[in-house]
Amino acid sequence: MTINHHPSDATLLRHAAGTLGAGPAVVIAAHLEGCESCRRRISEFESVGGAILEGMPLEPLKTDALARVLERLDLPPSSPRSGSLVTRHHRLVGLELPPSLHHCEIGPWRWLGPGFRWSKVSIPGSSDAKVMLLKGRAGLKLPAHGHGGTEFLQVLSGSLFDERGRYHPGDLDEADIDVDHQPVVGPDSECICLVALEGDTRLHSALGRLLWPFVGF
Amino acid sequence: MQSVAATHDRTAFAALFGYFAPRVKAFLMRSGLSANMAEEVTQETMLAMWHKASYFDPSRAGVSTWIYAIARNQRIDRLRREQTHTIDRHLDPSDELEPPDSGEDIALVAERDEQVRTALAALSSEQATIVHLSFFADKPHAEIARELGIPLGTVKSRIRLALNRLRSLLGDET
Ligand SMILES: [Zn+2]
Repeated sequence: MTINHHPSDATLLRHAAGTLGAGPAVVIAAHLEGCESCRRRISEFESVGGAILEGMPLEPLKTDALARVLERLDLPPSSPRSGSLVTRHHRLVGLELPPSLHHCEIGPWRWLGPGFRWSKVSIPGSSDAKVMLLKGRAGLKLPAHGHGGTEFLQVLSGSLFDERGRYHPGDLDEADIDVDHQPVVGPDSECICLVALEGDTRLHSALGRLLWPFVGF
Repeated sequence: MQSVAATHDRTAFAALFGYFAPRVKAFLMRSGLSANMAEEVTQETMLAMWHKASYFDPSRAGVSTWIYAIARNQRIDRLRREQTHTIDRHLDPSDELEPPDSGEDIALVAERDEQVRTALAALSSEQATIVHLSFFADKPHAEIARELGIPLGTVKSRIRLALNRLRSLLGDET
């Protein structure tokens, strides 16, 4: 699989720094699963993190900190995380979802317009994350829209194109405030994407206004 | 680290704790945690390091990157748990956040650390500041503008320039 569209370096750095919101982080994680070059970049930024850590001034711990940790060394680690939460809707989506979504709750497909459906993705512990699956039939023209914040879109199946390029499974489109576009679903098959919005959804003009009354976030 | 891995030697662990824990705590406070929470997350980080040490083929270089990744994940976990009022282990979001490099050949990590440090040293001081500040804030733009005394409108392009420079110093194709 050749991947032509990647997250920006600034976004990958935020992911490596752990400062990216939970919503965009899930979409970036889905991209990383299929993109070796971005994984390498994340590793480089983690090395930057290691260098910064090494250069930090020292903040003394409480005097009993080491003793308390030593006391706990032989206790079993807190319960192993069972992350997988595969719901009925995971299966109803009709395709293999990326592992980064396995701990998320996937809502049912809901009508958004002719040939256009969406499903809410809920991330436990991050109720304010704005993440969704979008499904459009072959040839569907989405409304032209600008962006009030950054929109992260990972293609899961089918294809999509706009003025800037063509997006296939594995590609990630990061459209920020400078981008106005009108995505069109490729002619051969329906397209399913994983999308996260950053910032106020209502400001995401057409797409946001379309989603907002339904999504309510 | 070798002896932590091999024999779970508490003396070696204590030495690593002495070196890294105060740095981890400072890092966590710098990224916005209160002193108390930073203290707790630091202890959790060192504990997690102990439990993961058996996967770790040690060498001095690479250790800080590994501990960095553990601390980052512990911080995210902690912040999400604060938000999850009903604790349900099945809904624990954290397993996607395992350090991607925990099983990776440490020689590779060490080599990359070396390259990254050389590259960081070659950045201009403005660019180094940009990279540094980008690590600590959810919305780093305002802080970068203030620190460097540049208009907010030009921050984005300065960040891009700095990261492009880092990329070319690391020898990656753009
Ligand atoms: Zn990529």
